[in-house]
Amino acid sequence: MNRTMGRRFLAAVCLVFLATAGGGGARAAEPFDDEENCLMCHKYPKMGRVTEDGVLRSYTIVPEIFSRTVHRNVPCRDCHTEIKELPHKPVTKGVSCDTECHSINNPATGRPFSHKIIVEVYRKSNHGREKNEEGPDRDKPYCITCHTNPLYNPVEEQPPGRIVDRCVVCHEKRKFVNAWYNHTSRRIREVRRSSEEIVVLCSSCHGDKKLVDRRIETAAKEGRSMGRKFPLAVESYDASFHGKMIRYGFAKAANCLDCHADAGNYYLSVHEMRPSRDERSSVGRENRVKTCQRCHPYAGASFGAIDPHPTADRTDNPFRHYIEKGYGLAGYLVPTGMLALAMFETIGRRRDGVSWMLRHGTSWRRRSRRGRDRHGA
Amino acid sequence: MILSGEARRVLDLSIRQNGLSESGKRDVEDLLAMMPADRVLLYKNVDSNPVGDLPRYSIHIRIQHLLIFTTFLLLAFTGMPIHYFDTFWAGPLNAIFGGVGVTRVVHRTLAVVMIAAMVYHFAAILLGTLLRIRGKRFDVRRTIVPAMKDLRDFKEDMSYVAGRRDQRPEMDKFMYKQKMHYFAAGGGNLILVLSGSSFLFPEMWASVLPKAAAAYFQEIMRMSHPHEALLALLVIAFWHWYNVHLAPGRFPMQWSYLTGKITREHQIEEHFLEYVRCLVEVPEERRTLRAMLEARGLADHGESPRGFIAEEAGR
Repeated sequence: MNRTMGRRFLAAVCLVFLATAGGGGARAAEPFDDEENCLMCHKYPKMGRVTEDGVLRSYTIVPEIFSRTVHRNVPCRDCHTEIKELPHKPVTKGVSCDTECHSINNPATGRPFSHKIIVEVYRKSNHGREKNEEGPDRDKPYCITCHTNPLYNPVEEQPPGRIVDRCVVCHEKRKFVNAWYNHTSRRIREVRRSSEEIVVLCSSCHGDKKLVDRRIETAAKEGRSMGRKFPLAVESYDASFHGKMIRYGFAKAANCLDCHADAGNYYLSVHEMRPSRDERSSVGRENRVKTCQRCHPYAGASFGAIDPHPTADRTDNPFRHYIEKGYGLAGYLVPTGMLALAMFETIGRRRDGVSWMLRHGTSWRRRSRRGRDRHGA
Repeated sequence: MILSGEARRVLDLSIRQNGLSESGKRDVEDLLAMMPADRVLLYKNVDSNPVGDLPRYSIHIRIQHLLIFTTFLLLAFTGMPIHYFDTFWAGPLNAIFGGVGVTRVVHRTLAVVMIAAMVYHFAAILLGTLLRIRGKRFDVRRTIVPAMKDLRDFKEDMSYVAGRRDQRPEMDKFMYKQKMHYFAAGGGNLILVLSGSSFLFPEMWASVLPKAAAAYFQEIMRMSHPHEALLALLVIAFWHWYNVHLAPGRFPMQWSYLTGKITREHQIEEHFLEYVRCLVEVPEERRTLRAMLEARGLADHGESPRGFIAEEAGR
């Protein structure tokens, strides 16, 4: 293990050296709180290493980008707690999102701020896994699969003077005031993903056939069964009325989370995904109608029985499968039959002497093979 | 011409229903006697006006047809790009209407117009039937109601086209093809309206259906709407347009949907029983036909068919 770490460290040092020697140079850093001077090394664009699996991992921090992320005011070591000295030893654990941020206190409790509460909820959910999961659960999403620390909206980059100019009168530090404005305004306005983005995000895993197959295989090995719709979730949603409406650009149609999360406690609920067979799930047997009623106020038990993930898959829905087959067959047979009938009739009547157009008072201007021609034809 | 038993029954009923005078009856019988025995010679030798000679559709039916076909085609052109939203051609079609949001509104508005046209149609045929029954002029054979005769007509017509019969069957005002087409279109429209309403009012449908049926109903309706529409479009394109536009003798179109009239040769060829009624109801047609037969040297001056039948019966 020590030899492996030693090799990693050596590789990192070599890369740093190459990056510097190669003239990559450092880019001008935007000011942000780098009191621990981590950018001294991590500002270099080619800083990284090749893992034992042959994967190139970059350790570069682009200050211009990081200074616009939601975590830009958090000192690096608040999350990277493993680092005790500089230059630091090879990192083995990585960052866990339930780490307490020592530099920021939760103003409500006075204790160090942490995402621990939501991470605990997430751990107990169907999606729950550990940060450094090595087993089959590695396929499950971790916090950063969904939360990518997006850049602030452009409008938030320059807090409006008419607001912050007033604040600095008492709060003195413009940097603090700007950060406060960004933090609160971001939460006041709608920051959740659009319906289309939510569908794309969920589909990135649930629509990955290999991943889905691995999960089914894992469940089988563990003696569990996955939901009937699990392998068809994305395909069936796309074919559903809701899926189509989202594709058409109608944000009001239900996206994945509108049904699979509890609207009453949405932001917590999206972290505690449960299978539909779990009665606590918003799409569980007991809660389904209530969930439908969020958008369909007159929904009753019959409405709740309608499949929101319809498929024509034979094992999933034989009824729909055979109806679709029937329509498909009719789609071929009807035009073919009618075309054949039309051709048959055309040949027969042409043989009898009919012309295409009615002219000079008649369509029967041609000589018939059956005789009985028009007088004077 | 000696009328078949079926044509004779139609003629007799028409004479009774129209209260034809004795001289009128004699006129019809004489004309029938003049007509060549071979019906093929009759429809091949009559002169026809391309825009129609004999009354067929009332103004109400023509208005309904105009409303139905314009809304149907526009519904297809607005519905297909909604259903096949991801295809390369759907984007430009949706853009014509101002985007899929507008296309949906146009589609629903057209659907309301089509439903109104259907209601108008059912009201018109119901009222028309009641008036005919009240005036003792109703004959079910003259309606679109299917009968066993239609199956027989279909079989005989196919035999004729195949060259195994020398005459097309004596068909009524609405032949087997028209009845099939009417009920296919009517049934299709009903499915489209039902399924469209299940998209718009899913809660309403679920509330009136039992739990066991609600899900199946939605499943079948969601599939039926696009499939049925596509099927209807194919039937229209491959069959209806063939029969009324492309078929030999009908090209470039039958004008009856605008003029309400059918050509004489078409009436005799495909709706002979209705032509027999026309001879009773339209005295002018008797004069026109008589003049044509004389002019073309087709007039048969033998015994009256009524007299012929009586003589045969007396032997």
